Amino acid sequence: MKPFTYVVPQSLAEACEASQKPNTLLKGAGIDLIDRMKERLQTPEQIVNLLPLKDELAGVAVEANGELRIGALTTLTQLEQHQALAAPAFDGLRLATGMTATPQVRNRATVAGNILQFTRCWYVRSEAFHCLHGGRGPTCLAMTGENRYHSVLGWSDCVRVHPSNLAPPLLALDAEYSTRLGDKVRRRKFSELFPADPRAQNPEHTLEAGEIVTAIHVPAQPAGTRSAYCESREKLTFDWATTACAVRLVLAGGVITAANLVLGAVAPVPLPREKASALLVGQKPSAALFAKVAEMAYAGASPLAHNDYKLTIGKAIVRQALDEAVR
Amino acid sequence: MSHEHKPALDGVEIKMGYRSLGDHLAPGDANAPGGQAVPGLADRFETRTVQPTAGDAPPWDANTKFTTVGTDVDRVDGLAKATGRAKYSYDMTFPGLLHAMVLRSKVAKGKLTGLELEEAKSMPGIAAVIALKDLGAKVRFVGDGLAAVAGQNLNLVRDAIEKIRAQLEVEEHNVDYVVADNAPALSATGEVEDDWPENAEITTALAEAAVTHNATYRVEVQTHSSLETHGGVAKWTGNDLDIWLSTQATFGCRGELARALQGKGIDAGSVTLHAEFVGGGFGSKLTAGVEGLAVCLLAHAAKAPVKLMLDRFEEHTTTGNRPGALMQARAGVDAKGKIIAWDWRSFGHCGFSGNGGSVAVPNYYTADAKVRRDHKDLAADTDPPRPMRAPGHPQGWFGAELFLDELAAKAGIDPLEFRLQNDREMIRQDQWRFAAHKFGWAAGRARQNEPGARFVMGVGLSSARWGQLGNPGRPPHGITCRIHQDGTVESRSGAQDIGVGTKTVMAMLTAEELGIEPRLVKATTGHTSDPSGPASGGSTLTPSIAPAVRHAALLAKQQLVELVAKHLGVPTADVVCKGGKIGAGQGQLAWEQACKLIGPNPIDVRGQRFANYDGKPFHGSQCGVQMAEVKIDTWTGLVQVTRMFGIQDCGLVIAKKLAESQVLGAMIQGVSYALHEQRIMDKRSGRMLNGDFLRYKITGSQDLPQLECHLHSIANGHDSVGAAGLGEPPSVASAAAIANAVFHALGAPVRHLPMTPDKVHRALAARKG
Repeated sequence: MKPFTYVVPQSLAEACEASQKPNTLLKGAGIDLIDRMKERLQTPEQIVNLLPLKDELAGVAVEANGELRIGALTTLTQLEQHQALAAPAFDGLRLATGMTATPQVRNRATVAGNILQFTRCWYVRSEAFHCLHGGRGPTCLAMTGENRYHSVLGWSDCVRVHPSNLAPPLLALDAEYSTRLGDKVRRRKFSELFPADPRAQNPEHTLEAGEIVTAIHVPAQPAGTRSAYCESREKLTFDWATTACAVRLVLAGGVITAANLVLGAVAPVPLPREKASALLVGQKPSAALFAKVAEMAYAGASPLAHNDYKLTIGKAIVRQALDEAVR
Repeated sequence: MSHEHKPALDGVEIKMGYRSLGDHLAPGDANAPGGQAVPGLADRFETRTVQPTAGDAPPWDANTKFTTVGTDVDRVDGLAKATGRAKYSYDMTFPGLLHAMVLRSKVAKGKLTGLELEEAKSMPGIAAVIALKDLGAKVRFVGDGLAAVAGQNLNLVRDAIEKIRAQLEVEEHNVDYVVADNAPALSATGEVEDDWPENAEITTALAEAAVTHNATYRVEVQTHSSLETHGGVAKWTGNDLDIWLSTQATFGCRGELARALQGKGIDAGSVTLHAEFVGGGFGSKLTAGVEGLAVCLLAHAAKAPVKLMLDRFEEHTTTGNRPGALMQARAGVDAKGKIIAWDWRSFGHCGFSGNGGSVAVPNYYTADAKVRRDHKDLAADTDPPRPMRAPGHPQGWFGAELFLDELAAKAGIDPLEFRLQNDREMIRQDQWRFAAHKFGWAAGRARQNEPGARFVMGVGLSSARWGQLGNPGRPPHGITCRIHQDGTVESRSGAQDIGVGTKTVMAMLTAEELGIEPRLVKATTGHTSDPSGPASGGSTLTPSIAPAVRHAALLAKQQLVELVAKHLGVPTADVVCKGGKIGAGQGQLAWEQACKLIGPNPIDVRGQRFANYDGKPFHGSQCGVQMAEVKIDTWTGLVQVTRMFGIQDCGLVIAKKLAESQVLGAMIQGVSYALHEQRIMDKRSGRMLNGDFLRYKITGSQDLPQLECHLHSIANGHDSVGAAGLGEPPSVASAAAIANAVFHALGAPVRHLPMTPDKVHRALAARKG
């Protein structure tokens, strides 16, 4: 690891000020960042450790309007075990949190850190490879190389997948996020956190340099809201999803009145599937309907040489998520 | 412990073998006792006259009654390991310790044409820079060592590594053996398409067969993934070298390093190797390797102690592996289900060395068949294989046992019936019957999966065999035994305990011989200043040193007995050590009291390993059987092993708990091999893509089945103890049994390990298709 300046801020304002300095990286739990620094994949001059701001930035609260406010530094364990997530509307978010990594990681890792994760692409993450991502080379090496864990949807010049478990259920719940950049406080739709055009040159998220996520806001859900999150893996202990699906449904009188379906681990960003969601609205749940929705969720997919299995398995995961949401 | 041997005219009569496995069924079980309800189980005993070497301990056999041996004793170094007090090579540190790294090739094939070290040498904090290859030398794989640097900390060393200019003449490489020049032609679905070489006998036998089958199998490269990586700490004192090396062959590596240093013109007055605690090896640590020599050279050049331990990527890519293999079988059975033709060929995935890829297959099913076996090693520009727990066996058993189940299915025979009909080994015949009963084979086989059900279940089985017992060593292996006046006992071996429980075995054997509790015995391993012992390889360590441990304890006991006899005024022949007491008749001394007779200088003796007994032991090879049950999600393709049972013939069971741990550990490693582990290479660069513990997937706690094993203790009449090692034997069957369970569950075989969800889906599609 290259030497760097380590900033331990006493307040959010101090952190914001320190993070304005060039070649600075913000650190939450540091679960992944420290590894990348050890390997010299990243060599910042300054690290701003956000963990001392836990008093301000950690914890889950239910606001007066019923909205859930999740502090950016809340650990995954805190989130999973918070009583507010016991409601069926939040099943998907709770399950996604609980199946992330390992208990040790969840006790340490933060909500914002999970959402803002760097790609797990094995070409991008090795200094030996010079690929398009990050401007290190002329082409995406995974596109024509070993790509069993890469994208089948929504990719253009880079086939990395977005690794966050929390992003799909938060998108499905119409969440928003707050940030602070210098003195500027902003609150936006969760979808704006991810690049609309997820090309190699665009990072995994749309934050500006020095912009700090402070909280995630999940709106109060209407009565009859159900949600689910399912993912496929190659093993059950500590693995990344090969495909994932988060759904949120509102059921009234046995009829689906609203639906959000979001795919994870199959595209460079967590991917809302509006057409598939639309098929659900106004319908009664049935195996036939869910099979049709699963097909639509993967409509237009372009699998690579080694990952067409993701289509078969991904559709099964969509069906499973829908089944679990209406169970 | 008691001996009830009748002296025979020219030796000692011993009772070999084992009691009926039916006697091991649980009380209340319909089949206990006596095994009447499991037909075919019976006592299996033979008597034989053996001729122990004069002075050796008398033989233990099936009549011996033990006090300590065969009981559950906690791992003697367990607490030290759990609390961090056990110091591994990785933990060694000294004042002024320097740290080191290796500059490794990023290209897979070429020639080293330039290596500029001067800038690195002049950098701050750098103490030594050495070349690991001469100019003009071949570079053989990504990760091949080019140079090594030692300095004050790893950050400065990394800076210096980045300043070394290595020029290479790059050549075209190939890391995939399947497309090597001399590889067989493969169909689009991966079947070997080359014609079989002409063989009239085989052709005729196949033509006469009632049912035949032909299929291709494949396994991927598995890495050893020892938790402690390779490497060590070297420290020179004048001309004398001490090296703490993470190794499974203390004396082999000591010799290797001494010779290599001599070859470099360095005159080492002495080389002492230390490996008191080792974090796993699995076969990959039989050589000191590039890193072992480099750390000695760096410490010599820097005139300071140096530590060089590999990182996880280096561990995955430069320290060997269990090779991949391509295997094809064609065989036939007669109308009764007897195998009459067996034709087998395999191709091993070797590294640049072009060897080490061999595949072993069972030979006990085909005693009456026309048999041909052929193997070819195929080279690729990668790190070469090294032995890994039963080299060649898990690969070959997977191919052969899955093939046998496919053949049995075609012939309409239950897989267990098929094994019973063809397996010529008596021990395993008993094990098949016992395992089937314990596991519930018939019920598992009879279970029907609902048509169209999302989750399907199945059961499968596999045999196992390993063929090595211990050796005396040349010169013979030794053990030091000391008894101190405070009543404590030392048992010391220069051989290593790589985590399997060797120290516990030494303490228990010594305690048994002396009639005391194992807690009084401190066992020490891994310093080459102690008597020599073998490498941990081929499951030979325990059976090789166990008789020497006994012999050393016996010699020490004889000296103590003399002191006690003199003190009590009784004949030495009457003195017995038993239950923590020494004496004759009413005249007994407590162990601690007796030891006070020793005085300030301890009893200090060296025992040795004598020759194995002449003649055939009860079993020259260890037999085993494993059965597995799987549950498969046909939607996601995820295979979960839900239950496994293993019975393992393991000679005399000494440390029961640790022996079970060896068997269960092998089964876990087998689950991982069957379902998860594979080295994934980038073909263009020749570099491993998943050289970490994130994408190199190893089975974790939630993926584990309910595991059970039965240690099949057999008096084998091989030497004075009759132990057998358990590194290899339980590693052979697991993946094969799981593959057969998957075949049963899906109704279609997955012929390529690991059985990841994508392959399960392909098998399902092929079944439908």
